[in-house]
Amino acid sequence: MKYILMMSGKKSDFEGYANWSKEDIQANVAFMRTFSKELKDSGVFVSTEGLGWPSEAKLVRAGKDGAPITDGVFPESKEFLAGYWIIDVESPEQAYKIAAQASQAPGAGGKPANMPIEVRPVLSGHADLGL
Amino acid sequence: MKYILLMSGTRAGVEGYRAWPKQDIEAHMAVLHRINKDLTESGEFVATQGLAEPRDAKVVRGEKNGLPVTDGIFPESKEFLLGYWIVDVANAGRAYTIAGRISAASTNMPIEVRQFATHEANPR
Repeated sequence: MKYILMMSGKKSDFEGYANWSKEDIQANVAFMRTFSKELKDSGVFVSTEGLGWPSEAKLVRAGKDGAPITDGVFPESKEFLAGYWIIDVESPEQAYKIAAQASQAPGAGGKPANMPIEVRPVLSGHADLGL
Repeated sequence: MKYILLMSGTRAGVEGYRAWPKQDIEAHMAVLHRINKDLTESGEFVATQGLAEPRDAKVVRGEKNGLPVTDGIFPESKEFLLGYWIVDVANAGRAYTIAGRISAASTNMPIEVRQFATHEANPR
């Protein structure tokens, strides 16, 4: 069963992260590298990506002629995806356990940040939509 | 340059979609499949993934002992990721064009276009 673990935050959270001390950021990045390696070693790793800063985000809609209309203005409350992991595990409980590990990545001051991680099953194909 | 195109919606939006007539859902899926095929042929396709319904979503935090604490309660306004496309394109304009096509195929839903994290793109 494949699950996606998503880490999100507001623009102000991203700005807060950018203001962490260099050591705290290094500790966080080191944790993430080890975490990915452990997922690979245990055979549950499918993929991971980190996303760019919210300041680079655009919202695109199709105009009447099909041409894209871009907009870069978001409400302050907007939760931006910061990154994700896709894992292939035996049960939802195993996915939650791995998400809890990600949640405990060191934050400011090197203490576990206990960030919320959203866990969702991913669709394997068309059939999952009930079509 | 790699971009990720994110499609999101509220729980009410997802329920509205499920209430569409079967033919409308099939027509929508057919256009999305066509877009995937076109992206594959143009060499711009990297990955795509659809997510399961919001009702299966959980938020997990680690407790002091490292055990997971799960919660499945979200505000009504919560925007759930429904799916994404990763494309490798020549420039941002091309990513916006593809996002516009997906939007047009999907009742003009807004599609969020994001770059990937690189040491160059982000502070520090």
